[in-house]
Amino acid sequence: MTDKILTVRMDAYPSDSHKLHRYVGTGGYEALRKALTEMSRDEIVEEVKVSNMRGRGGAGFPTGVKWGFLAPSEPRYLVINCDESEPGTFNDRQLTERDPHQLLEGIVISSYALGVNHAFVYIRGEYPKAARRMQSAVEEAYEAGYLGEDILGSGFSLDVTLHLGGGAYICGEETALLNSLEGRRGEPRLKPPFPAIEGLYGKPTIVNNVESISNIPWITVNGGAAYAAIGPERSAGTKMLSISGHVKEPGNYEIVMGMTWRELIYEIGGGIRDDRALKAWIPGGASAPWFVPDEHLDTLVTIEDVAANGSMIGAGAVVVMDETTNVVAAAHRIVRFFAHESCGQCTPCREGTFWLEAVLKRILNGGGRPEDIDLLLSISDNISPGLVWPPAMTTICPLGPSAVSPVTSITRWFRPEIEAMISMREVAVV
Amino acid sequence: MSELPGTVSITINGVTHAVPEGERLITAAERVGEYIPRFCHHEKLKPVGKCRMCLVEVEGPRGRALVTACTVPVESDLVVDTQSEVVKRAQEGVLEFLLINHPLDCPVCDKGGECPLQDQAMAFGRGESRFVEEKRTFLKPIPLSDLVLLDRERCVLCDRCVRVADDIAGDPLIEFNGRGGHVQILTFPNEPFSSYFSGNTVQVCPVGALTSVDYRFVARPWDLESVRSVALSDTVHSPVEVHTSRGRIVRVYGADSDAVSDGWLSDKDRFGFSTFRSDERITVPLIRSDDGFREASWTEAVDLVASKLGSFIGVEVGAIGGANNTNEEAYVLGKFMRTVVGSPHVDAQLGDGFDPQLAAAITNRGTINDLDAAATILVWGPDLKETLPVLYLRVRKAVRNGASLVVVSPYATGLDAIATHKIRYRAGSGSEILRKLVQGHGEYEGAREVLDLGPVIALVGRTSLTEDARLVEAVAAFARSLPEARILPILERGNVFGALDMGLAPTLLPGRVSTGDVSRAADLENEWGSLPEVAGKDTIAMLNALVDGDLRALVLTGADPVRDCPDPGLASRALDEAEFIVAFDAFVTDSSVKADVILPAAVWGEVDGTVTNLEGRVQRLSKALPPRGQALSVASALDNIARVMGTDVNAADWRVINKEIAQVAPAYEGVTADYLTFEAGDEGAILPLPDAAQPLGYIPVDVSVPVVTDRYTLHYAPSLYDDGVIVRHCDILRALPSPATARLHPRDASSLGVSDGSSVRIEHLEFAVTVDTEVAPGSVVLPFNHVATKGLAATASVRIEAVRGGA
Amino acid sequence: MTTVIAHWSHDNRKRAESILASYPERRSAIMPLLYVASLEHDYVTSDAMRDVAALIGITPVQVQSVASFYTMFKRSRVGDYLVSVCTSISCYLVGADDVLSAVENLVEGGRDDAGEDASISVEHVECLGACGGAPAVQVNYELIEGVTPEKAEALIGWLRATSPEVVLADEMQQLFGGRRSFDWGPSEAEGATRPLPAFGPYGSARECR
Ligand SMILES: Cc1cc2nc3c(=O)[nH]c(=O)nc-3n(C[C@H](O)[C@H](O)[C@H](O)COP(=O)(O)O)c2cc1C
Ligand code: SF4
Ligand code: FES
Repeated sequence: MTDKILTVRMDAYPSDSHKLHRYVGTGGYEALRKALTEMSRDEIVEEVKVSNMRGRGGAGFPTGVKWGFLAPSEPRYLVINCDESEPGTFNDRQLTERDPHQLLEGIVISSYALGVNHAFVYIRGEYPKAARRMQSAVEEAYEAGYLGEDILGSGFSLDVTLHLGGGAYICGEETALLNSLEGRRGEPRLKPPFPAIEGLYGKPTIVNNVESISNIPWITVNGGAAYAAIGPERSAGTKMLSISGHVKEPGNYEIVMGMTWRELIYEIGGGIRDDRALKAWIPGGASAPWFVPDEHLDTLVTIEDVAANGSMIGAGAVVVMDETTNVVAAAHRIVRFFAHESCGQCTPCREGTFWLEAVLKRILNGGGRPEDIDLLLSISDNISPGLVWPPAMTTICPLGPSAVSPVTSITRWFRPEIEAMISMREVAVV
Repeated sequence: MSELPGTVSITINGVTHAVPEGERLITAAERVGEYIPRFCHHEKLKPVGKCRMCLVEVEGPRGRALVTACTVPVESDLVVDTQSEVVKRAQEGVLEFLLINHPLDCPVCDKGGECPLQDQAMAFGRGESRFVEEKRTFLKPIPLSDLVLLDRERCVLCDRCVRVADDIAGDPLIEFNGRGGHVQILTFPNEPFSSYFSGNTVQVCPVGALTSVDYRFVARPWDLESVRSVALSDTVHSPVEVHTSRGRIVRVYGADSDAVSDGWLSDKDRFGFSTFRSDERITVPLIRSDDGFREASWTEAVDLVASKLGSFIGVEVGAIGGANNTNEEAYVLGKFMRTVVGSPHVDAQLGDGFDPQLAAAITNRGTINDLDAAATILVWGPDLKETLPVLYLRVRKAVRNGASLVVVSPYATGLDAIATHKIRYRAGSGSEILRKLVQGHGEYEGAREVLDLGPVIALVGRTSLTEDARLVEAVAAFARSLPEARILPILERGNVFGALDMGLAPTLLPGRVSTGDVSRAADLENEWGSLPEVAGKDTIAMLNALVDGDLRALVLTGADPVRDCPDPGLASRALDEAEFIVAFDAFVTDSSVKADVILPAAVWGEVDGTVTNLEGRVQRLSKALPPRGQALSVASALDNIARVMGTDVNAADWRVINKEIAQVAPAYEGVTADYLTFEAGDEGAILPLPDAAQPLGYIPVDVSVPVVTDRYTLHYAPSLYDDGVIVRHCDILRALPSPATARLHPRDASSLGVSDGSSVRIEHLEFAVTVDTEVAPGSVVLPFNHVATKGLAATASVRIEAVRGGA
Repeated sequence: MTTVIAHWSHDNRKRAESILASYPERRSAIMPLLYVASLEHDYVTSDAMRDVAALIGITPVQVQSVASFYTMFKRSRVGDYLVSVCTSISCYLVGADDVLSAVENLVEGGRDDAGEDASISVEHVECLGACGGAPAVQVNYELIEGVTPEKAEALIGWLRATSPEVVLADEMQQLFGGRRSFDWGPSEAEGATRPLPAFGPYGSARECR
C-alpha cells in the first residue's frame, strides 16, 4: 500500500524537486499525456469521483461531485486556492514551493477535464517564494509545451495566470477569493449561486485547494479506485497535516488517516516539548473546536471521527498546547485573528468578533466579571445559534462562527480556569 | 393549493398565501402583512444580505435553517417562520450588535423619531446594554459633498448609499473603506461625492448617518406634515413627498413610484425648493416707475393690466409661457388670450423646442415604463443626465437589465459609458448621420443592427439649441420606422407638455386638437365663444413681430425669452420695443425686468392643480403651503384681470378649471381631479384614457435638414446646474455650476494655436480652452445657460479665434 | 481608458501592460497594479491610486476601497525594511510576543508609520503560514523561521549595518533563523528590494555576487 503521494519527490530530491527536469525524470507529466491521449474528459471526472477524494481546503466536499456541478456554458474557469492563511496551516506552501509541477500538472489535467482554457492560481501575498517557484514552473511548462496552445498536440489549450493576494485571510473563502481576483474587496458572496454556476466574472468556475489538485496526477495515473483504497473509506487518500505549537517535531506530515490522535501527537509530532503534559489541541486549524486529552486522545484522525466529536480536520492544521498554556490568552489570540480578518460586511461577524475580542482582552487585563462567561457564550450564540458544530450561522460565511470555536472550547473544557482568572483579577499576558 | 399563473403558494407562520413567483421573501411577506425587520434591504436595490436583520427560519430538507428574507426568492411550498424563538433571538442579537458601537445620540439626531434602528430597538431589542467596552469613535460629521454629510458613528454599513451611488446613479464616488470593525464609508481625498443623485443616499440611509446640509437640525419628524406631489424641475415629474414644518417646506423626499421614478430624485428636484424661499422672491405686484419698479396693490396692478391689454387690438398682443405653470393655469392663459384678449399668439416654447404637434400628439408615443420592455433604446436628444436626470436613471436601469442602447449626440453624454453604440457627430451635421443610419451600412451597420431589434423605444429631442428643430422631426420619422417603435419626445421645461396640451401653441387647441380641426374648433367655440380667425405666431415670430411693430404687447408667464430663446439679442430687442409687458413671475429676470408690471406668481409648492409629463401622464401637483406674500396663481390673477376687462374666464378655483378641461379638452376627457385622486391611484393617468379620444395623431415626416458646413459649429451643452432660476436662487445649489470653458478637439485646438487654459474668442465672448477628444472635430462645445455664455446666440455656425496673450 | 501612465518608468509601464494583458477583465489587475504603483510612488499614495484607477477605468475611491481592504497595500510610508512579526496562535505559543517586543525595543516608534527617514518599520501580523517554524518573521515579506528574541535583535542590527539592497530569505534564515516548517530546498538568489512581495513583476531582484 502506498503511503505517500504528494511528498515523495521532494523527500527524495530535496535539491531540485521543483524543477521540470526532475519532475519529468521522475515520471512527471505522464499523467497529463495519459489524460490527453487516452482519456476523455468525462473519464477523468469519473476517476476523481471514484477516488472519493474530499477537498483539502477545509470544507471537505468531494472534489468529483463538485466538478459534476460545473455548468456547461463557456468560458469556464479553474481557480486554485493557495491563499492558505488559517493559523496552523502551512502545507499548501510546501506543496507549491517544493513540487510546483505536480500542482501544475494537476491543474492542466483538471482544466482539460473541466473544459477550462484559463486557470488562475491565487497565492497569498506573503508567499513570495511559493509564487516565484510557481512562476518558474509555469514558465518551464510553457516552454516545454505543457501549457499554452495545443498541449502535447492534443488540441487542448490552457493559460495559467498567477495572482498574488494582498494580505486578507478571508480571501481563502472561495467566493471572497473570486471577488478579490476580480479586483474587488475580498468579501464573500451570497450563496447560491455557487461558483460552479456563477463564479469568476459570473462564469462557471471550480475553486480547488492546492493539495486537492496536487493529487490529481496520481489519481489519473493510478486510477480513482487505487486512491479510494488508501485509508478509511470516508477519509480516503493521504492528507498533509501541519503540526505546530508545543510539540517536539512540528512540521508537515503526509499521513494516511486512521491513526489515533495519541499516535499523531506523540509519535509523529514527537511528543510535547520538554515532556510536559498535553493540555489541549486544535485538530483542524484556528476555526475548529478544540480537543482535550481526557476525551479525545484515542479518537481516530479521520474526517468523520473528528466530526462526530464536534470538530473538524479542516485543512489539516494541528495546533498543540501544553500545560503551561493560558487558555484565555490562547483563545483571545485566535479570536483576535478572526476579528482582524473579518471582512466586516455582515453585522454579527463584524461586531460580534469585535466584542468577543474586547471581552476576552478585558478578562486578561484583570477586568473580568462573573457574568462575562455567560456573556461570551451569548455573544457567540448570536453569531452561531445553538453553538453546534458544524455551525449554524447568522452570518454570510463561516468566518464569524469560526471565531466562536475557541470561546466555546475554553468555556467547555476550562471553565474553572477562566473563573479563577476572573476572581483573581490578576493581570495576565496579552 | 392550486396556484394562479405567476404565483406560488407559501406558508408564513402557519398561514398559506399566494404570492408572486420569484419575489423576494421579505417583499412577499410584507405584501401579506408579515413585516420582517430590515436595514440593508431596499426594494429598488440589488440584494446584499449584509445587515442580517431579516433572518427568518425556513424549512428545508435538513430541517429548519436561518436565511435572510431579503435574499431568498419565494418558491412553491416554502414554509417560513418569522416569529420562532430562534428568529427572535437572531434578530435581537443583530440589533444588539448594531447598537454596541452606535452613539445613541437620538435626541440630537435628525433621524430620531423616524429611525428604523431606534424603532426596532424598541420593538425587538433588549432593554439595557451589555456592552461595557469602549465604543468605536470617529470624528463627527464629515462632508461627503456640498450637499451630504456623513456621521460615521451612526452608520450601520447597510450598503444602501453605495449601491445608490454605484448601481443606480453610476457615480461610484463613495465606497467602503477598510476591513472588519474598521469599515467606514468614504470618498476619495479631494474627490467629493458630486453626484446629481446624492440626495437619494440621504433618503435611503436607514439611520441618521447621512444628512443633507439643508435639513440638519431643521425639524423633528413629529412636527412634519406631508403631501404627495410631483417635482417640476423637468418634464419627468418624479413623485415626491413634500414635508412642511411650521409653514415652511423643509424637505422633499422621493415618493414610491414604479411607473415614473422608482422613488429616485435628482438633487435639483430634491433641494431646489429652497429657491422659492429666497429673499429675492417677488411678493407684491410691481409697477414700472421712473427709477425701476414700485410696489403696488393687486387692485392697482390688475386695473392697469386690464386697461392696457384692453387698449390693443387682440392680435397685437402675444403670450409666451405656461411651461412653469399647472395645466389649469396654462389652460386659463390660453382661454384668456384667445377669448378675452382675442389673440391666437400663444406659445409655451421659446423657440427652444420643436413642432408642438409632434411634442403633444405624436403617434406611437411611448411611456417611461416601455424602457423596461425595450430590446433597444435609441437616445438622440439632449444629454439626459444633464436635462432629465431621473429618466437617465430609468435608461440605466433598462440597460442594466439587458436592453441595448444607441446614443447619438454631438458631444459626450452621461449615457455613453453604458451605450452599446455611441455615435458622435459634428454639431450641425446630424442629418448626414441620420441618412447613414437609415441606409444602415458602413460604419453604422452595427448600430443599425441593434436598432432593428424591437421593441425599440426612441427618446428624441433637440441635442442643443444650436440643432435645427426639424432634425427632431426627421429623427422621429426614422425612429417610427423601427420595429415595434415607441417614441418619447424630449422637452425639458417643467410642465411644457401640459402647457402644449392646454393649447399653448399657435397650432394647438386644448386637448391635443389641431387648430386646423374645424369641427373640434367649433366645439370649443361653443364653450368659449369665438376664436381669433388669424393664424397664431410662435415665440420667434412674436419676437420678430414685436421688433417690426406688428405686435405691441406681451404677456409673460414664468418665461424668460431673453435667457432661454436661441437668439437672446432678438428677444432683448423685442422686449425693449414692446409697448406693454405684463410678467407673471417669482423673480426679476432678464426678461421680467423689462416688463411694465410684474405680478407675483405663486410657484411650485404653493399651487394646486395637475401637470402632464413627457409620456403624457397627468399627476396631481399639490399645494404644501400658502403662496408667499401676496403671490397668486396665474389662474387667479388672470381671473381677476378678465373680470376687470368685463368677461369671466371662470378661473377662481382650480377644481372648477380642472372640470372644464376634462369637458372641453378631448384628450383630457374624464381626467378630473376626482378621477386622479380616487381612481387612477398615486401615479396619475396616461392620456388619453381608454375611452377618450386622441383627436390628433401626428405622424412625423422625414424633412430634409441642411448640413451646416461652416468651419466651426457650436454645440451648446445643457447642464443640470445651469444658470436657470432654480439654481440661481437656491442657496445650496448655486455654488455648484462648474466654470465655463470652450471645449475643442485637439486638432482644432492646434490649428487655432491654442491649448488647455489658453483663450479663444467665440463671437463676442472670451473663454478658456479645454482640449477634449470627446468633441467632434470642427465643433466647439460651450455650456448652455451659463453666466459666461449669457447673450450668445445659439446658432450652429460660429466664429472662433485665438486670443493672443492668454486669458 | 488610459493604457499607460506617462510618468511611470519604462519598466513599470511594461509591467502594467503585461499584467493587464493576463486577465480577461481589466479590473482584475487592480491588486498587481497597486504593487507596481507602489514601485513608482513608494507606497499606495493617493496619486498611486489615481494612476491605477486611470489604468483600469474605475474611480479612485473604488481603488481606495480595494486597497484599504488588504493589509499589504501600505497607505502610509514604511521604512526600507518592513519587519513583520507573526503573533498568531502557533507563533504566540512559542514566544512570538517576546520576539516582537525585542524588535520594537530596537525600533523607535515601531509600527507601520515610520517617518520620512526611518529605514525600518515593525508590524505585528497574523499568521504567516510558517507555524511549523514558529516564531516567524518576515523582512519585506521574505521569511525567516525559528526566530528567537536575540536573533531578532541581531537581524535588526544587521539590517542597519549592512543595508542590503536585496533581502534574501535563505540568507537571513541562515543568519537569524532556526527550525523551519519544512526543508525549503535549494537556496535562491532572488529577494525583495523594498516592502513589496518579491515576485515577478512587482519588484523582485536577483542578487548579483
Ligand atoms: C474563512 C474561510 C477561509 C478559507 N480559507 C481557505 C484557504 O486558505 N485555502 C483553501 O484552499 N480553502 C479555504 N477555504 C475553503 C474554500 O472556501 C473552499 O472550500 C476550498 O478552497 C475549495 O477547495 P477544495 O474543495 O479543494 O477543498 C476557506 C473557507 C473559509 C470559510
Ligand atoms: S462572516 Fe465575517 S468574514 Fe464572513 S462575510 Fe460576514 S463579515 Fe465577512
Ligand atoms: S435586510 Fe436582509 S440582510 Fe439586511
